[in-house]
Amino acid sequence: MPFSRRRLFATLASGAIASQVARAADDTVAIPGKRPMILHNDRPEDLETPVRYFDSWLTPIEVFFVRQHLPRPQAIDLETYRLTVNGMVAKPLQLTLADLKQLPQFTVPATIECTGNGRGFYSPKVPGIQWMRGAIGNAEWRGPRVSDVLKMAGVNSSAAFIETDGADVGLASTPDFVRSLPMNKALHPATILALSMNGQTPDIHGFPVRLIVPGWDGTSSVKWVVRISATAQANTGFFMNPGYRYPKYALPPGTPAKPAELEVIEGMPVKSCITAPEDQQKIAPEPITIRGFAWAGENAIERVEISVDGGSRWRDAQLSPKKLPFAWRLWSLEWQPADPGYYTLMSRATDTAGRVQPIVSPWNPSGYLWNAIDRVGITVEKSA
Amino acid sequence: MRTVILVGGATLLALVALAADEATVERGRKEAGLACSPCHSLRLVQSQRLSRAAWNKELDKMTGWGTKITDRDALLEYLLANYGDDKPPSPPAMSKNGFTPRKQQ
Repeated sequence: MPFSRRRLFATLASGAIASQVARAADDTVAIPGKRPMILHNDRPEDLETPVRYFDSWLTPIEVFFVRQHLPRPQAIDLETYRLTVNGMVAKPLQLTLADLKQLPQFTVPATIECTGNGRGFYSPKVPGIQWMRGAIGNAEWRGPRVSDVLKMAGVNSSAAFIETDGADVGLASTPDFVRSLPMNKALHPATILALSMNGQTPDIHGFPVRLIVPGWDGTSSVKWVVRISATAQANTGFFMNPGYRYPKYALPPGTPAKPAELEVIEGMPVKSCITAPEDQQKIAPEPITIRGFAWAGENAIERVEISVDGGSRWRDAQLSPKKLPFAWRLWSLEWQPADPGYYTLMSRATDTAGRVQPIVSPWNPSGYLWNAIDRVGITVEKSA
Repeated sequence: MRTVILVGGATLLALVALAADEATVERGRKEAGLACSPCHSLRLVQSQRLSRAAWNKELDKMTGWGTKITDRDALLEYLLANYGDDKPPSPPAMSKNGFTPRKQQ
């Protein structure tokens, strides 16, 4: 190998700097209201849930993942808060929180997953938060239906989208976070303006009012909603185009997409993850419970299969009882390792529409929708 | 004797070049503080592992979003030297506990 002073220097520099960063990260930052989280970014907050917390069907708020595109807005004054409903409507509205609370309230259990969850598994690497398994959580969201709000405003039947804006704004000339949602999804009875999450109203998760679009990528569920406009066309801002688009045709890994061949993401694929034991964990030669979660966007989970031999043989896992669209199912399998040694555990989910997790998740330039069969390696130690 | 001088000269040149690179990367580190951290923490930068082309694209994107970069070449060298796609991924950092359970009433 030819001598490369650049490579030599880079190696020296990266070692020194990386060790400083790791120390600083663990020492200094606490996010109010959150237990220790995988800290991708603290300003604004991008926090990943460590998989050990995924042991309850509802993910507690104190460990629920956070993805902020823009700095969190100032806490919203509940008295002066107004939701503007305008655009292609007969009667533009300025709704107070009390107005929203007077509408019929619905509870929707739904899993929210960041579009880029699992990005860190893609190779070649792509820019963006390097989430692994934990940019996902399941909560009970409660509030009025978007359809009831639109009905109140007298939405025009030719409006094809709603455009939703939150109170957050970008620094410098960072584009505003505005998302469009096709009208048929906006009018779906499970699409709500959540006024609470697991019975609480955490500011960091977008309250007092957060749009919840069950079964779609988390990006659709706009936080701190202050405006909903009925429109004929989809918004063309950065976070609709080119942001959060996926190649229409699969690409060779590492190659760019043609902008005209990128599509808005609608819905989510079928996916499962192993949350215990953890990757590269060493365990005693005793019976253990292999655990994890599985979800499938707008479908429910039908089946989860586990392999403890690298995918040669598969066994059905036990599933948590609620078989719902939009919400995950936790799964588990009791396992007694026959011998000490290294094992590759894998999980594979199937949904109610017959979709099955693939071995290979299609590489894409933004690293979205990772859903390959999950895999962790563990070592079963010899008896003492 | 001539060989010794040549080798010595080459070593000196290499050291000068290394020092120059080090100085550039150091300038780039300062530039990252000035250009990137007004809008987001540097953790966002430090967790990436990107090629020269991909880092250049990121810098174009950030410039388009209003970031003022005065020493772009140095910034790019700093990013590649530390967060290039040939570098191992950074270990996950954990935040400290910021949660206080509510007291039972």
